[in-house]
Formats: sequence, structure tokens, C-alpha cells
Amino acid sequence: MNNFILSSLIFTPLLAALLVLLLPVRLQQPIKAVALAGTLVQMGLAILLYFNFDGAVLANGQQGYQFVEKVNWIGFTLGSLGRFQIDYFLGVDGISISMVLLTGIVGVIGVISSWTITKNVKGYILLYLLLLTSVMGCFLALDFFLFYLFFEFMLLPMYFLIGIWGGPKREYAAIKFFIYTLVGSLFILLVMIGLYTSVIDPQATAVQMGFAEQSAEAGKAVVAQVQQMLQRNAISSYNLVRTFSIPAMMEPANFIPNSLLHVLSGSVLWDLPLRFIAFLLLFAGFAIKVPSVPVHTWLPDAHVEAPTPISVLLAAILLKVGGYGLIRIVYPIFPDAGAYFAVLVGGLGVLSIIYGALNALAMNDLKKLIAYSSVSHMGFVLLGLASLTVEGVNGAVYMMFSHGLISAMLFLVVGVIYDRAHDRMIHNFRGLAHMMPVYTVFVVIAFFASLGLPGFSGFIAELLVLVGGFGAPEATGLLPRWLTVVAVFGLLLSAAYYLWALQRMFFGKYWIFPGLREKAILTDLTTREYLMLVPLAILALLFGIFPHLLLDKIGLTVTGFTELVLQRGQEQLGLILSTLR
Amino acid sequence: MNEQAAYLTDKLNAILAGAGTLVPEFLLAIFFLLLITLDLFKSESIKRLLPWLALTGLFSVLALQVLGGYTAATDEPFLNLLVSDGLARYGGILFSAAGIFTVLMALQHRELERLKEGKGEFYALLLILVLGLNLMAKSVNLLMVFLSIETVSIASYILTLTLKQEKRAVEAGLKYILYGALSAGIMLYGMSFFYGFTGTLAYTTEAFALGLVQVDGLLVTIAAILVLAGFFFKISAAPFHFWAPDVYQGAPLPVVALFSTGPKMAGILVILRFVSNFTDATAFADVQLLLGVAAIATLVIGNFTALWQKTPRRLLAYSSVSHAGILLMVLLALGTSYTSSLLFYLTVLLFMNFGIFLVLQVSEQRFGVKSLEDFSGIGRVQPFLGVMAILYVLSLTGLPPLAGFMAKLLVFSNVWEAYTLSGNTMLLTLLILGVLLTGVALFYYIKIPYYLFFKRNQSQEKLVISPSNKLLLALFALPLLVLFFKPDLLLHWIEQLLTQTL
Repeated sequence: MNNFILSSLIFTPLLAALLVLLLPVRLQQPIKAVALAGTLVQMGLAILLYFNFDGAVLANGQQGYQFVEKVNWIGFTLGSLGRFQIDYFLGVDGISISMVLLTGIVGVIGVISSWTITKNVKGYILLYLLLLTSVMGCFLALDFFLFYLFFEFMLLPMYFLIGIWGGPKREYAAIKFFIYTLVGSLFILLVMIGLYTSVIDPQATAVQMGFAEQSAEAGKAVVAQVQQMLQRNAISSYNLVRTFSIPAMMEPANFIPNSLLHVLSGSVLWDLPLRFIAFLLLFAGFAIKVPSVPVHTWLPDAHVEAPTPISVLLAAILLKVGGYGLIRIVYPIFPDAGAYFAVLVGGLGVLSIIYGALNALAMNDLKKLIAYSSVSHMGFVLLGLASLTVEGVNGAVYMMFSHGLISAMLFLVVGVIYDRAHDRMIHNFRGLAHMMPVYTVFVVIAFFASLGLPGFSGFIAELLVLVGGFGAPEATGLLPRWLTVVAVFGLLLSAAYYLWALQRMFFGKYWIFPGLREKAILTDLTTREYLMLVPLAILALLFGIFPHLLLDKIGLTVTGFTELVLQRGQEQLGLILSTLR
Repeated sequence: MNEQAAYLTDKLNAILAGAGTLVPEFLLAIFFLLLITLDLFKSESIKRLLPWLALTGLFSVLALQVLGGYTAATDEPFLNLLVSDGLARYGGILFSAAGIFTVLMALQHRELERLKEGKGEFYALLLILVLGLNLMAKSVNLLMVFLSIETVSIASYILTLTLKQEKRAVEAGLKYILYGALSAGIMLYGMSFFYGFTGTLAYTTEAFALGLVQVDGLLVTIAAILVLAGFFFKISAAPFHFWAPDVYQGAPLPVVALFSTGPKMAGILVILRFVSNFTDATAFADVQLLLGVAAIATLVIGNFTALWQKTPRRLLAYSSVSHAGILLMVLLALGTSYTSSLLFYLTVLLFMNFGIFLVLQVSEQRFGVKSLEDFSGIGRVQPFLGVMAILYVLSLTGLPPLAGFMAKLLVFSNVWEAYTLSGNTMLLTLLILGVLLTGVALFYYIKIPYYLFFKRNQSQEKLVISPSNKLLLALFALPLLVLFFKPDLLLHWIEQLLTQTL
């Protein structure tokens, strides 16, 4: 394996975008073809990476990354504050590999789905490719600054994609999406500032102090020595090299002793330790993206107004950045607060599951129903993560992956009926199965996959989360059992809203709202639609029947991650609470 | 008689010895005189040369200050009035760059180009303004500060009124003069207090700082308020920002772009030198609180008032007020080395302000944009202009991947560090406000791209933007990208400059 596969993964769409930029506006088909080629290459690379990724490497979020690329990017000195270091730092572990694979697959599906776009194709494709670059960057970045760069950069293409190519209320939805996510990312920014001014890179500091020639040469002994000296306040501030490296932030020994986010700092604000506040801010930032109730309200609007391919992208991969951020950044950096607020996080997860499902039950618009089902299903990610059991976290990651495949399918299915009838209100249709039998088959597959029928990937995910949740009282003691019991009702509700929608729209005698009859031409699926739906259905089945395909890759990382977070969490929580008294 | 002669000789020697540090200012003065003289000739060809002459002058001053090398024979400040340290030198570089950009923008400005009378005057005043800014950055004596601020102000008043036939310009000029005269008076009054307290006007000396400690804190606070009033006027910080929207609305855009950068940068450098007397957290808690409140008020007023604006000029005026708030915020990060962060921020501010005002100038002159709604659909017809507008707007908001983000990040890091050191809750409040108001800022800045791209244009005229305008737009945008991806290039240089004192 070459050394630049991760960079290639990120920048392939960007390269395609540059090519598109050179093409004249009127060449719509070639522009789409270039985009397809770009995303196909990206998917190819992602699959290649998936097969070459060694699932037997022990990893825990702090170490064990594969295909690492690390180059000094920005380094400057700010007087007495010492040096600041920003790295171009990429790597994959079991958690990111699943997301990378998902992004690769959905990226291609999205381009195929975009074939129907005719309005300002060049601009659309450019933004689409930029979006893919930044999402992929998010999943691979191990430097907080780099992550934040990609994270923020997602907003802009999305804003324009919704705002220009969206439905009737697109402008409102675009602004709402932008403001919500921006506020979230500002919370993240606040904590990022606090973190990087507090954390040093022990290897680079060793170089600065003359212990080693290059940071790669500084071995474990040197690092330990530097960390000890740091904790004794024995390093002059001019020699400290502050870093944005996420793995470095996970190591409590890397925190500067008098910094406010140090475990022993004893700093409080409004009677809460500052570390807890930092956790809550980060959590809020990512929860908006997940989205979790009560900050989910942007999602239905964005979904309803966005064109089909953008809805697919939004549901399938953009939401995952929220969950991924929680796993990659929030929990391992603040394991203490993660343990302390487990009930809050898990509770919000369960609230999302139930509240999202209840809302879905009440929706008349099929797309809104699916948007709320997304809220409901992403709640499982929060619940699994909060349990901090191996099963639960595995389930959370599996849920993100599986929801990515299934929600893509769901939104495509909605797109199919909307393309034909220019309407998607459930009560305007009845007995569609008579007119579009094959389409109905795929709707049934998508609905059943999403409601967690055994044999589909969603089942595995929900099962793992629930097993983790039920085991949590004994294994970690973080979550009460009734929380998981309530979550089970979510499954029931999701069966209810899907089956009810199916019954209302597809079964019974064929009927269509009179106002739609003239415009609607209800033909069955086209080849292009088969091309998108069949692979997704196969994948959902594949990962439902052979879960080890994914679990083998993510398993060890998740085990390492939960051990690290749990152990550190309990230790540090004890320390923090002891400094308060 | 002999004593007098000896005194005179000493003075003359000091002037001669120190004159070396003032070469940039002399150069500006020479070009100013040259412009005034040549403006007397009626010949058209000479008139056409004038902008280019001003440009040559500014370029040579820029080059001189970038290269350095002009030094004095002694290390003493010039007559105890002016000091040429790295801070002043970097300031000088920014001011001459601002001057150059103004000339370049003015060359693209239709009315300014067609100006029958006072064209030479315009460029001559520009040079005097830059000269005044340079002196502001160099002053270490309160009286000198006053003189240089007044130089800048008087030049500003006239520049506002360049297009006399415009009613708005006259109104703006009058308001500007009234406010300016008032704040200058208040400032002078405050300065007299300080002279009384300390017996010296050299406000960076130890004698001054020592004198302050011995006086009652309340008196010092009052005097500081009075002096700061004048400074705040220059940087358009609340509550002395009321002139900004009117002047921004009335003055020609190149001049507005200059006002939003030049005097603001010089003003903040003066404040920087001034507040270094008040670093003692216990003795001057009130002064620091005052600065903090002013910063908060400026941030809040600037950002929230901008939300309601209907015209791009007024919107940018309030945006400029909010940036003054961030600049004040840096100064409160006491105990951290914030100077390089501040200078970095000023540099970024220079490019993004000129960029956005050039976008506005092109839109006004080509597409008749008067209100935000007039932007409708221009981005669809002119993607280049639209994309550039997005770049500047995002940088002003402070989003990656643009230098505006980097600048804010540095500022916030300093404030956080200062909070870590002092535990002062006001700093935390400032930090949180500063970060969260970015969200508010986005809400009004995004209106520009919103109208540019989301709304449709009624008239489908095909208008072209001149290549020179496009080139300039790209020129201002390029540093914003470069400074995001490699801020260390500039920061290294700033640090180097700051370490050299003379």
C-alpha cells in the first residue's frame, strides 16, 4: 500500500472539481461524467482501503492508526506562549474505516441520483464534489484544526446546494441549516481554543528541548520524560509546543499543569468543573449535527427542501459526522465527563428515538416522515455510545454505517415518487403497488431494513445497541436499565409508522389525488434507479447477514476505545470530583 | 545667550541624529509637495500623471519600510516624540499598503476618475493622511499623538467631501467634522489631566507610569476615559461609532475602504501603546473594566445593529464597528504576547476590507447596487464577482478556510491564555461573546451571497467587469487564502520585526 491513499481519498473529488471547473458550462453530460469518474475512483480507493485495513491491529483512538500521514503544516511562535503546531495529520482506525467506506459508496450513488439535475449543472457538481472532499476529510483528520477546517467547510456547499437547487422553501431551510450548524461549530471552536492552548505535543517539545533530533525519533522513554517534566512544571514556556493533535489531547499527561482544562486544575464555572462545560459544549456542537432532540429542528426542513441527492448525502454521511465527532473527539478527550453525563447523553438518545418516532407517525409528507425516522435512528447512536459497553459502541458505529446505507435508500425511494408525481404527501396516494410493483418492492425492502427486520444491517445495529444498553448497568454502571427499556418502544413505533405509511400509500385500491392525475406519470423504476437501489439493498442485506464483514474491522478499535474511555473516565472523574471538595 | 545657543545646537544635533528614522515620512511629505505643485499646472497630461505619482510615492515608502535599513545615529526617540520601533514600522507598511490600495481603487472609480477639480488635491490629501497615520504609530508623546490624529482627521474630513455634488457626502462630512472636533476636544482635555498627574506627556516612559500609580485611581480612570474617547472615535468603537454609518454612506468607496482600515489600524496601535501603562490589574482594575465594557459594547452594538441594515454600506459600517470590538478585545489579553496576533489581524482586516469594498464599488458602478436587494442575481450573471464576494464575506465572518478565521483564532487564543493566567471572568465573557457573535455576524454577512445567488435578477443585462477590477479582486483575495494556509510566513516576520526596537 502506498503512503498517500488517505490524501488521495480526500482530494480525488477536489481534483475532479478542478477538472469540472475547466469544462464549459454547456457540456452538462461530460461534467456529470467527470463527477461520476471522480467519485468512482474515490469509492475504489475506499474499498481498497477497506480490504487492506488490518482489523487485527490494536487501536484505542489514541494509538493504532493505520496509513498515517503526518506533515508539519503550520508552526509559529507567539512570544511567551511558546510554539504552536498544526499538522496535516491523517489516519484510519476501525471507527473511521466504516465511515470512509460509507462515504465512498454514497458519493457514487449521489452522483447517479444527480443525473436528473438540469439547473446550473456545473455549479451543482462543483459544490457536490467540494462537499464530498470535506466530509471525507472530516473522517480522516486526526488534527483538530484540520478536522475543524473540513467540518466548517461542509456548511457552505450544503448551504448553496439546498438554497439554490432546493424546493419552494429552500431559502429558509438553507439559512436555518447554516445557522444551526454554525452555532454548533462555534461551540466546538470555543473548546478547541481551550484545548490546544492547554495541550502539548511531547515529541515536538522533546525536539524543542534538544532531547531528540526529530519528533519521530523521540521514543516512549523520551515522551514519558517530557510528560513528567511537564507535570512538574519543569519546562520553560518557550519550549512548549502546543498542538492540535487529537490523539495528544487524549493523554492527560500532555496537559499543561496550570491550564484550565487539566484534570487537576480544579477550575469551575457556574459550579461545574470546566472540563464538564467543555464536554457539554462539544457535545452540543456535535449533537446538532447528529441531530439529537431538542436541536434537531433544522433537519426536517433541510431534508424536505433539499433535492433528492442532497438529502441522500445529508442523511447518509453528513449526519454521521456528528456521531463520529462524538466518538473520535468528545468521549476520548473528556472521558471523565462522558462517564459523568452518561445518563444525559443516553437520555437524549432515547428521547430522540421516541420523539422522532412519534413525530414520524404524525407526518403526512413521506420525506418528513423519513427525516424524523433519521432522528429516531440516530438516537440509537447516542444510546450505544453513552452505555460505553463494547456492544453498545459497536452498535453505535454499526448503526451509523447501516443508517447511511438505508437512509440513502429511503430518500432515493421518496425521490422516485416525487420525480413522477411532483408530490409526496402520503394521503394523496393509495394502492401504488398496482401501478409500480417493482418500486413497491424496493420501498418494502427499504422500510423493512430501516425498521430493523432481521437479515438487514439495521437489525444488527439495533440489537447491539440494545444488548449494550441492557448490559450497561452491570458492565459499566453508567445507564439505568429502564432507559433501554424505553428505547425498545422506539422499535415498535418505527414498525408502526413504516407499516402504516406502506398500507396507506401502496396497498389497497389504486387511487391518486385528482389534482395530481394530469401531471403524474407513474412508470416503474428506470435503469438509473435500479443502479442506485439494487446495490444499496444488496449491501444492507450483506451487512445484515454477514455482520463480521464490518465488525471484524471495527471490533478491536471499539474494544480498545471503550476500555480506554471507561478506565480513564472513572479515574479522572474521581480526581476531578476530589479537587472540588 | 550662550546657553540658548548650546540648547539650540543640542536640539539641532538631536534632530539630525534622529532624522534617519523618519525617512518614510519625509518621502511622503516630498511627494505631497510635488503633487500640490504639479496640480497647479493646467495641462491634461500632467493631471493624468498625478495618481501614478502618488502611487510611486506610496510604493517607495512601502518598499523602504519593508526593506528597512534607514536608521538613526542614536537609540533615543526622535525629540522624545517619535519612536521608530518594529511596531511602528509594521504599521507603516500596512498604512502605505492601504494607501496604495486606495489609489488603485480610486483609479477604478468612475466619478473620481472624471473629477474635474481637486483630483490632485485628493491624492495629495491621501499622502498626508498616510503620513499622519505613520506619525500616529510612531508617537510616544501625547501631544504628538494629538497632532498626528488631527492631521489624519483633517485629511479625512476633506476626503469625505471629495464628491461635493453628492448631498449625502456633504451631510456625512459635516457630521464627521462635528463628531471629530468634539472627540478631539475631549481627548485634549484628558491629556491635560495626564500632564498634570505625571508632569510629562511622554506616555511610554517610566516616569509617566510611576506618576500614574501615585494619583488617585478614580482620577486616572476619568482621564483615561477622556483620552480613550478620542482614540475610540478613530477606530469607530462604541459609543463613538455614530459617525461611521453616515460617513460610509456618503464618502466615495475608496475613501471608505481607507477609513475602515488606515485610521483604525493606527488608532489601535496608539491605544496599544497607551494601555501598556495600565497592565497592573489591581491598580487599574477600573481602566481595564472600562476597556472590557467598551469592547463588549462595541461587539454587541456592531453586530446587532448590522442585522437591521438595508444598505450594504451601512452594513459594512457596523461590521467595521464589530471588528473594532475584536481589536479592543486583543488589547485586554494582558500578560500574553498579543502584539503579533493584533498585527496579523490588522493585516487580514486590510485585505478583506479592501476586497469587500471593491466588490461593492464594482456592484455600485456596474449594476447600480444601492440596497442589499439590488444584489439580486448578480452572482448568477457574474460568477467571478460572486465567488470573490463570498470569499471576503466568509473571511469577515471568520470562517475557514480564510485568513479571517486564523486571525480570530489567534485573538481568541490570546484571550483564553490571558483568562487562564488571570482568571478574570470578564475575559471569558469577552471570549464567549466574541465567538458566539460570529454566528450573528454570519447572519448579516450571508445576506450578500444570499441576494447574489439565491434571488433572481429582473433585468438580464449582460454587463462586463473590467479585467483590472477582476485582477484587483483576485489580488485582495489571494493573501486571505495564503494567510490561512501558511500564517506562519507572516507571523515569523512580524515576530522578527517586533524584536528589533529601533
